[in-house]
Amino acid sequence: MSTLRIYKKEAWYDLISVWRTPGFVLPALAFPLMFYLFFGVVFSAGGNATYLLVSYGCFGIMGPAMFNFAMNIASDRAHGWLTLKRLSPMPVGAYLLAKLVTSLVFALVIILLLFSVAALFANVRLHTGQWLILAGLLLAGTLPFALIGLILGLTLSDKAAPGVVNLLYLPMAFLSGLWLPVTMLPQALQQLAWLWPSFHLSQLGLKVIGADLGFASAWHLGILLGQSVLLALQARRLFNRMTS
Amino acid sequence: MSALPLQITGLTKHYADKTVLAGVDIALANGEVLCILGPNGAGKTTLISIILGLVKADSGEVRLFGQLQTGTARNTALRQKLGVMMQIGSLSANLTVSEQCDLFSSYYQNGHNATELINLAGLDHHANQRFGRLSGGQKQRLLFALALAGKPQLVFLDEPTLGMDVEARRSLWQQVRQLKQQGVAVVLTTHYLEEAEQLADRILVLNNGQIIAQGSPAQLKAMTAYKFIQCCSTLDDVQLTALPAVQQLTRLSHSVVLQSNQVEQTLRALLAQDSHVTDIEVRPVALEQAFLQLTQSTTAKER
Repeated sequence: MSTLRIYKKEAWYDLISVWRTPGFVLPALAFPLMFYLFFGVVFSAGGNATYLLVSYGCFGIMGPAMFNFAMNIASDRAHGWLTLKRLSPMPVGAYLLAKLVTSLVFALVIILLLFSVAALFANVRLHTGQWLILAGLLLAGTLPFALIGLILGLTLSDKAAPGVVNLLYLPMAFLSGLWLPVTMLPQALQQLAWLWPSFHLSQLGLKVIGADLGFASAWHLGILLGQSVLLALQARRLFNRMTS
Repeated sequence: MSALPLQITGLTKHYADKTVLAGVDIALANGEVLCILGPNGAGKTTLISIILGLVKADSGEVRLFGQLQTGTARNTALRQKLGVMMQIGSLSANLTVSEQCDLFSSYYQNGHNATELINLAGLDHHANQRFGRLSGGQKQRLLFALALAGKPQLVFLDEPTLGMDVEARRSLWQQVRQLKQQGVAVVLTTHYLEEAEQLADRILVLNNGQIIAQGSPAQLKAMTAYKFIQCCSTLDDVQLTALPAVQQLTRLSHSVVLQSNQVEQTLRALLAQDSHVTDIEVRPVALEQAFLQLTQSTTAKER
């Protein structure tokens, strides 16, 4: 099947192209690992290594998803590469799916690194089922962030994209309780947290280890799905309106 | 009867209150090379973008192989027959020449394979070099080869030889002539008039969104068959303009330039009327000037 071949090649070449960008690979892998080593292992205040594994796991998968989509799509647009592809018979799906595959590969590497550090150095003990659910959840959780990245990539110039992603990424992580438990934030910010997809993803993850705030999973899942649908619709609107 | 590769009728486009295209008609046959010339802002890029379906026209229609181009709707079958080289075209800097060729050739059902594309680009010795490390001319050659990836029947080349050295430019011209021989229709925009003279069956001069002249390179030259007479004369402007066959007069600091479509007549009259005339110089017009003349005169009329 030649269409399947296009999807495979597109995904493979997107991945190696990103892999050859040290400025992307190093921070994407090093930041979550460094944070976890620092706060979860070295300066661990007793027994929060498991909690921080979940929150830094969320933090770790958000970054590559948003940066990969936003920066690379903005750059492909700016350099006319995307226009050339859109004028070729390439299916648009192959282009977008390739970027998602790259984000998932990065997410998987980050998950494996964090899990290894947690199990080997932080003495985190979970059932096999818990490890697997957590990994699956974090992988699936890249979708809304990939969509945010896609929207930014379709809106911003290639020069503005990295800065704007950071401006969104870091505050959103903080306000979702990924660095400090959300209960330590002021009341108003705790309520505001319900806006961020990262809050709901981390609550679902914390539920796996029994450390969540106690709201029903259906809320978090429903909101995440709803947000993803809205983001996807907006992304599609922007994509169809794109002129160059 | 097979439909024309490209047929455009009554195309108009406005941005805010600026008219970018004011009723453009074009018909292009198989094996024909059409050069679109025009100063910056003439509407060339908008025209190409509308033809390719990247921008919507206000009115008029574009047909590619008889099929109506309906905005940015994706018509994959149509795209199999098109080859495009855009002015701003840069590939992923981190992929090598052979990787880009492999990827692009996978998009087409009956196209060239990666090896053939590398060969077309003349980059056999640079196959494993990343795009970001190629010279400007090499990048252009790769982009040109990718435009031919699907063995297209209609090719768009937007300023294809920008940044190429003389040798690379001539070799690209040769490739365009080969396309023409294979019956491929080519639309080419360029700033280089020599390029238009060398390649075009038909030149189309676009200015302020209108086709102000079109024809073969020879016809365009004939349309502007005049020469320049530069001299130092004691006659005033009125007397000079009244000389036979003088079309236009330009005052320089010490001399005056007359534009005449019958140089001999003008000169005879000039010498008869002004016995003190000195420094006479007669210059033929280059296509470049002919083209400037065409675009300037329409601009002047509008003012």
